[in-house]
Amino acid sequence: MGALELHQWTAAAYLAGSVAAVVGLGVRGRRWLRFAVLILALAAGLHGLAFVALHRLEPTPALTELPLAVSLAAWLLVLSFLALQLRVPGRGLAVVVAPAAFLGSVFAAFSATPPDARASGSALWSHLHVLLASGGLALLGVAGAAGLLYLVHHRAIKRHRVAPHSALPSLESLDRANALGLSLGFLLLSLGVVTGVLWVETREGRLWPGGLHANATLFAWLAYSALVFARFGARGSARFSAIGSAAAFALLLVVVVGIGAVR
Amino acid sequence: MSLLLLGMSHRTASVELRERYAVEDARPVLTKLVASPEIDEAVLIATCNRVEVVVWTHALDTARLRLRSLFERELAREGAARPDELDAALYELVDGAAARHVLRVACALDSLVVGEPQILGQVKDAYRVAVECGACGPILGRLYPRAFATAKRVKNETGLAERPISVARVAVDLARQIFESLADKVALLVGAGDMIELALESLRKHGLGGVRVVNRTPARAAALAARFGATAHGLDELPELLRRSDLVLTCIGGERPLLTAALVREALRERGHRPLFAIDIGVPRNVDPAVNQLDTVYLYDLDDLASLAEANARERQAEVERAEAIVAAEQQRFEGWLGALAAVPTIRALLARAEEIRRGELERGLAGLELDARAAAAVEALTRGIVSKLLHAPLSRLREELEGEAGLAHLEAARTLFALDDEGTSSDEDPDEGS
Repeated sequence: MGALELHQWTAAAYLAGSVAAVVGLGVRGRRWLRFAVLILALAAGLHGLAFVALHRLEPTPALTELPLAVSLAAWLLVLSFLALQLRVPGRGLAVVVAPAAFLGSVFAAFSATPPDARASGSALWSHLHVLLASGGLALLGVAGAAGLLYLVHHRAIKRHRVAPHSALPSLESLDRANALGLSLGFLLLSLGVVTGVLWVETREGRLWPGGLHANATLFAWLAYSALVFARFGARGSARFSAIGSAAAFALLLVVVVGIGAVR
Repeated sequence: MSLLLLGMSHRTASVELRERYAVEDARPVLTKLVASPEIDEAVLIATCNRVEVVVWTHALDTARLRLRSLFERELAREGAARPDELDAALYELVDGAAARHVLRVACALDSLVVGEPQILGQVKDAYRVAVECGACGPILGRLYPRAFATAKRVKNETGLAERPISVARVAVDLARQIFESLADKVALLVGAGDMIELALESLRKHGLGGVRVVNRTPARAAALAARFGATAHGLDELPELLRRSDLVLTCIGGERPLLTAALVREALRERGHRPLFAIDIGVPRNVDPAVNQLDTVYLYDLDDLASLAEANARERQAEVERAEAIVAAEQQRFEGWLGALAAVPTIRALLARAEEIRRGELERGLAGLELDARAAAAVEALTRGIVSKLLHAPLSRLREELEGEAGLAHLEAARTLFALDDEGTSSDEDPDEGS
């Protein structure tokens, strides 16, 4: 099976996971959520195989290509979510993570990659930049998803419209997932920015390339810096952090994916 | 042979009446019951909500009188009910209805709070006691394990256990929506009345980290706290305790709210952004509704909890219907087994009649022939084979039909068609041994 077919199967598995997660939340069935997590784990395995198949292609497509970078971020998002399950009980997060992973893998599966898309400049810095930035994007995605669900759940509890047996994770769990995703994601994003600067330096001989993508990324990084300071330095509230994480991730998506796609 | 159940429950008798028939140790009662000639097997279940005796008897009318006498003379404590009062409180169920009731009780479909998990353990204990004192035989020994299997199916196949309808359980489940774990959380209970006592019992059961009781009369708080391993405090300590608690439950008298928005806001300042879950079940309310406007405070009053409990009760109705269908299917399985048990004498008689005919005809046929031993054995085997094959299909069909409603009619038809006389045969054997 080729890399493209594997990517398509991965997208189908993420879609199945999304359906199971949505049904699980809808009928408040914890078994459905367990099933969704299981499907996501299988899909992540397929996704990994798709990357292995891509790596064996000749010439090997560069990870710096937007569809592949988005697919990598989607894969890391699912892996982060699965790793998070070991620390924080929050299967309900699958309702956001699975559709996001589906969209990411669909983007890669149905986007044409140039036959020889080797990145110019240092391969080490370019790969490190993509890996770290995608990892950061994935973890900040987890933080954003947790923030979004926190806001929904908080509102329902405040307005007395929550069912006591709701399948959503507790507010405390969502807040912990948010804090964990935010701290680790910001660290990786920062390292991604630094390695990006070093990559540009080897490619163009200057530290800052300028341009819309670079400037907007810097703006998003500054927004996250302020959020991280407010959350961990000034001990901001969980709700503030949830709003900030969801909004900042939307901004980051526009910066990384939106501008990249337009270019 | 009949299955007979006599008892009283929360549906038919007040708690005052049920108290008078409380059974502390079922062993002596069961031992005396099965010593009675009319009773073959017995199980007695006694909980705060029901006292029921289930017996397997070969003399239904005499067993009825015996169980009635059990309630009138042996179980009644001082101040037992008048005969008319007892008549109104007792219910009697026979055969299928009794079996269905046993299954429904084990599945908590007859409980005060439908779906509550405690009753299954109580039924298991009652069965274990009956087995230990030799009061249980093959029939009840089949019925009760079937009831436990039914309860397991209901738990696994329906959402009955996931829909709490008591206010205390709803409060605990809501707390789980806010907090990841209750084990490291501290509850503050304001008041020392019955509602607080019930809530305290429920909270303790669900493993809260610590519980503090605050009351205007510290002595009452101390008495309640001592019973549940909590700590007692006076109302003057309320502001300080509020800062260190995660869950506040109030039910205390007073015209004005005890927890004002200003008091809670002050407490929040020192709590950081840790959430506070406040449950106000006092009438008039003890917590100012404005408290719910504070960011990290989630306030629920009695109406909010009651409406959630009602919503759960509505959702549970569909689950109850699914559970009842499971009970009906399992009841049919048990009755099928019981019916098959009744078929043993008929099957045995039919086999005996066939064997008798085979032998008679074989002897008559062989008398005129001079066969050597080998040939005679071959003819013998041939006749056995013919009889066996002829009877195999009707007997198999009879056993299958006994699982359904038409089973008894088929049994009767077999007895008439083959002119069977089943007198003197035992019915206490497993139907599978018939062939």
